[in-house]
Amino acid sequence: TKWAGTRPKVASSDLALHHFDMTYSLQLGDLWPSVRVGMLSEKKYGALVNSFSCDSDVISALQTQGCRDFISTALTEHLSTDPELHNPTAAPITSHIQCFTFPRGDISRFRPARSDSNGLLNYYLLDAASVLPVLALDVQPGHSVLDLCAGPGGKTLALLQTHDLRFLWANDLSGSRTARLRRTLQSYLPTELLMEGKVHVTSVDGRQWRDKDESTFDRVLVDVPCTTDRHSLMEEENNIFKRSRTRERQMLPLLQMELLLAGIQAVRPGGDVVYSTCSLSQLQNECVVQRAVTVAQQEMGIRVEVQNLSSFTRLFSHTFHFAPQPAVGELVLPHLCANFGPIYLCKLRRMS
Amino acid sequence: IPRLFCSAPPPPKAVQHPEPELTMRALAEMGFSETQAEVVYEVAKKKRCKHQVPILTSLFVLGFNPDSMLKVLEKCPDLYVVKESQLQQRIANLRKLGLLEGSLQRVISHYPQILSLPIKKVNAVSRLLREKCQFTVQQVTDILRDSPHILQEDHTSLEYVFQYAYFRMGCQQAEMVKAKLFRLSVEELQCRHGFLERRGLYQTPDKKGQTLIVNPKLKDFLPVSEETFLTKIALSTQEEFDVFRKLLARELEEERGREHTRTAS
Ligand SMILES: C[S@@+](CC[C@H](N)C(=O)[O-])C[C@H]1O[C@@H](n2cnc3c(N)ncnc32)[C@H](O)[C@@H]1O
Repeated sequence: TKWAGTRPKVASSDLALHHFDMTYSLQLGDLWPSVRVGMLSEKKYGALVNSFSCDSDVISALQTQGCRDFISTALTEHLSTDPELHNPTAAPITSHIQCFTFPRGDISRFRPARSDSNGLLNYYLLDAASVLPVLALDVQPGHSVLDLCAGPGGKTLALLQTHDLRFLWANDLSGSRTARLRRTLQSYLPTELLMEGKVHVTSVDGRQWRDKDESTFDRVLVDVPCTTDRHSLMEEENNIFKRSRTRERQMLPLLQMELLLAGIQAVRPGGDVVYSTCSLSQLQNECVVQRAVTVAQQEMGIRVEVQNLSSFTRLFSHTFHFAPQPAVGELVLPHLCANFGPIYLCKLRRMS
Repeated sequence: IPRLFCSAPPPPKAVQHPEPELTMRALAEMGFSETQAEVVYEVAKKKRCKHQVPILTSLFVLGFNPDSMLKVLEKCPDLYVVKESQLQQRIANLRKLGLLEGSLQRVISHYPQILSLPIKKVNAVSRLLREKCQFTVQQVTDILRDSPHILQEDHTSLEYVFQYAYFRMGCQQAEMVKAKLFRLSVEELQCRHGFLERRGLYQTPDKKGQTLIVNPKLKDFLPVSEETFLTKIALSTQEEFDVFRKLLARELEEERGREHTRTAS
């Protein structure tokens, strides 16, 4: 009946909400109610423009609808007006990525993507905040990049917008996820590019990179499986708060740390790793990073340094709500007026 | 009791006609100034009321002064044409529903339309409140006094407001009356409650009537200004609430759309 609430008795989403109420109210204090109502309401998307598509109208069409590319807007408008952003430690952003969003408080939706004359889709809809880990990775021309947990491929696509990267290896443990990733790549990238062998897709356990002895990648993205907070609150399907998955959920931080260590192993000295999740959980975010830094030093003899992203977040603070200073890394908080995230990201440089 | 005739326009002062003069005197006896009396004539003429204006008599008897009578008629010009017998029955009916001296006058000045409604319509709402919503007789009186406009509302939406508060929010009838629940539109009720609920500040009681948090009292967050609601109860900003209102409206609209397709197929 309509009064019994929209969800079944002990829905996994209820368990998730209860769990979040217990942990996040302590972690976020007064900010929690705002984040909570954001996560329980419709999220906002961003349209990641596919620069391989020859739909020349896409930009003007998006602009007519009232959206703006939040990245170039930040670079042209806020960078020039904010003196603090001119200091040399500011995270560099040389990006070809364009991601359009509707303004603050605007709840309009994007139309579905359209294909161009070659059958390539003109944009990919994703949580605009999930572009931030890719931006923070700062891929340069000629770089080789490893995307350790790539499925279904949103961030892979964003990485590939840097046209002149040398090589991209996209991996995901799940076969169905890699299949989806392949389909995504086919709908967005010209066949030639996929044939060139520039993009390599595999389906293996990312932890294996820990045992490989080759530290060759310039950049590694470690976008780990997590409690996917928003999803867990809204969907029953594939919900990690299902009672039968309790153990799997409890093991997440360990898995996440091992994946991060594998990423650290795979990157060359001097190269960068970005760790990211779509959870608010300190246990899955800061704690995993801090623990991994220690273990890398002690067990692998690798020194990594956490990079300061505060000027980076400052640059994008017109589009996203960032949590006040996590111990390490940066956290995008959902908020009704800018309902992106949660996205946690932390950038690490391998020193030795 | 003076009878008022309004078939003729106000006469030029010099000419003396017996009938209109009586009317003018009657108005004067009730305390109307000349200008006020002219206003009454004017409207009565427009309303094409042929014989008399019993509403003036009725209001006069109820103790209304000319100023408040004029206000009543301004708010609800339809009353010019209601028959005397009808008026008397309607007033008697309102008394029967518990609106006694004081309350009766307040309701009429606040919501004069109440005298333009057929008894049947009024009683149907009162029955709905008693039978379907299980309010006590006294509570029904209080509801009618606080929110007489519900008499003209659609029964389904009235019942929906009640059911929402009762089942969805877990409130008792007494709280609803205290909070003047029916003054709010369904949308506003859902919006304030939904906002609090998603912020984690309101929980529907379980079968035993228990909640993990202490819910704010209905009377503290419904019959208050939006500003008070936001600063004292929801602890949020106008900006967030405005966005929430838009989102919720779209959510509900889409839900109705889905329900519609489900029942249609
Ligand atoms: C948060 S999702 C990645 C989202 C993706 N980066 C994107 O932007 O579309 C995490 C992924 O990690 C994968 N995964 C889980 N365990 C893994 C493991 N041991 N090795 C590699 N991938 C794993 C899951 O299949 C899931 O697709």
